[in-house]
Amino acid sequence: MAKRVTMVAEIVDANCTGCNRCVLSCPTVAISMRRRRSDEPGPGRNIAVVAENECYNAQNCMELCPDDAIVMRSLDEPILVGVLDTEVSPEAIGQLCMQVGMLPDMLVCVCTNTMAGELAEAILDGAHTPEEVALRTGARTGCTEICLDPILRMLAAAGHGDAARNPRNGYQWYGIPGRLMDFVGADGLVDPELVAAYPHLRLQKDVNAMVFKMDEA
Amino acid sequence: MTVDAIPAPGLLPTWNGRRPADVVTTRAADLDGIVTLPIRELTPWLPEPIWAPHPRFGRTDVTEVRRRTRSRVEALDWSKIKAGERVNLLANPHGFALSGLAYVAMLEEIAQHVRAVTGASVRLRIAESMGHIENPDWMRIFDLQRRFGDARECPQIGQGVEIDTRVGPMYLTRQLFNADHVIHTHVSEMREGYLHRMLDRLFKPFGMGYTRLETRSAYHFGYGPRTGQLVARAVFDSDFVQQRYVSTIVLNTSPEGVVDVDADNDLQRIDRRVATDIFRNYAVLIRLMSEVKDVTVVFDGHGNTIYSYAGGIPFDVLYYSNADWLDLDNPALYSVLLPESMRGMLGPWAMGANANIKAYVINYMAGGVPYMYLIKGVPTFVTSPQVMDWLEQDPSACWIRDAAEGTEGLADGLRRATAIANSDNVLVYDGLPGAMHVSESLAEQLRAAAPRVIDDVENVRMPKWLAQRDLPRVSLTSAS
Repeated sequence: MAKRVTMVAEIVDANCTGCNRCVLSCPTVAISMRRRRSDEPGPGRNIAVVAENECYNAQNCMELCPDDAIVMRSLDEPILVGVLDTEVSPEAIGQLCMQVGMLPDMLVCVCTNTMAGELAEAILDGAHTPEEVALRTGARTGCTEICLDPILRMLAAAGHGDAARNPRNGYQWYGIPGRLMDFVGADGLVDPELVAAYPHLRLQKDVNAMVFKMDEA
Repeated sequence: MTVDAIPAPGLLPTWNGRRPADVVTTRAADLDGIVTLPIRELTPWLPEPIWAPHPRFGRTDVTEVRRRTRSRVEALDWSKIKAGERVNLLANPHGFALSGLAYVAMLEEIAQHVRAVTGASVRLRIAESMGHIENPDWMRIFDLQRRFGDARECPQIGQGVEIDTRVGPMYLTRQLFNADHVIHTHVSEMREGYLHRMLDRLFKPFGMGYTRLETRSAYHFGYGPRTGQLVARAVFDSDFVQQRYVSTIVLNTSPEGVVDVDADNDLQRIDRRVATDIFRNYAVLIRLMSEVKDVTVVFDGHGNTIYSYAGGIPFDVLYYSNADWLDLDNPALYSVLLPESMRGMLGPWAMGANANIKAYVINYMAGGVPYMYLIKGVPTFVTSPQVMDWLEQDPSACWIRDAAEGTEGLADGLRRATAIANSDNVLVYDGLPGAMHVSESLAEQLRAAAPRVIDDVENVRMPKWLAQRDLPRVSLTSAS
């Protein structure tokens, strides 16, 4: 959908040690480091800097900061970000969604109310990393958790699975976890070894439910 | 039965420096027409707590919790841990929120015993979750640094570690596992039952609480309605975890408080043992929530929507009560994740969006957890401008001001909500254990429904639930 941003991160320069954790955790990569000037007293050589127009109020930076060097400042007026305006065709959007087993009208980012189709639209319009998807749609700037796996899968399905982490050692995302459908054959049956390993879990019936074959679920 | 009114638990300072007690001056429990309904009145077979957070329901000192913890951990095998090794004692914020000093006491006894018998260093590592920054500041409230020496909160947004599992790569919170060994602790209450479905319940933190963002997301999107716990099992069974795992210690709870401490080196064995107690202590109340009709829900405490509690029962039980998710034959799908275009076809299998919730009133509620989907289409009122501002500043709820309306205080909000609901039924989620704050009308309806629900659970549903899990028979009326 989009996001209404009501707060942005602000660095308390006197407390910032330049530890870099805020840089490593921001889902829109809105924070970078600069050298502390000689006229700026403080505990570290570097100071964090916020690109205010790219801060979407995720607050990960504040949570990870060990030095109380980040506060969230209320904006006088909220800012609307992540509004899509593209010419990507509905057919292309539908195809990309189907590649990851979703329909375009499936809710993915439950914080910003962003649908699978909107994520696909942004990716097909040039957002080729999770950070670019976040900036283009607002998704993954709320809890930063629920929607991550579908975004990574959709990027991979669109041919961008090799996107480099930004920064290289960032905590924003690592990789795509395994999932149940990885163990389903062309015949629709779950790998019998997995079924045998966890016989108390209704793996086959749940696969049927995931493809909406409810009578067989 | 009538009982003296019990006030709502106080509001605590939050991690991000808010002081809701200074803002929220009227609590729902104080309003005319709101009564205190003891859980024991509905489910009289509950065991007596060995610790309760409120003296009305049992002893509040932790002597017995300490004694039982010592007794249980002395019986465990700690030989895997050698002198000089590092041991991470894994904890979770829900333990502090629900069982407070009892959880702290259990953790202290474990740490002291392990240090004494092994010569290892034991560090407290708290697996944080969504909502951390708006939660009460447990580190300060319970003075955990002083009690444990080395104590840290470990957010799921922090540095990760990739591990190989039976179902592919998974990503864990590195800080929790950067040790030679880990000790797993838990609280057996019934949050997120709709997710774990009472399958491998005590394994769940290995699929969620101890993991990073990617793994948690995959739990929701990569698995079916009954198989998210495959993530937990695969992570627990991985070489990475098995090399470190030593034991599990659990506060066994009822809606009133802590009823026992249990411990085992074998997680599967303790999971089955505790499961039967969970069915005995919670199952009727879970089904009783499906009897709540045309209700106005009031959030008036810490926790956020699905993680808010009334009488020891989380709100998610009410929200998902339109499906019997304890029945493993039921393939109920999360309504929130159903594509709009499929809702008509899949409606009968949808779990959540309980149509009997007619309105919400938010007097105070922490943020940090997605919930906009939950109030969608349901009239929602926020009782003060400050709380509305706090809600809107929450990264997970940027659209709340479009979805909710401000009111002239709590009484005004409740009046408007119940008018829309066309019902006096009110259920308050303020975190009080052992009793619910409800309207008189709802109290009467729950009392009237309880015998029928008990009969249905004990004679029809429970035998099936237990058989599905190969668990021994549970009697509700005989002593545990």
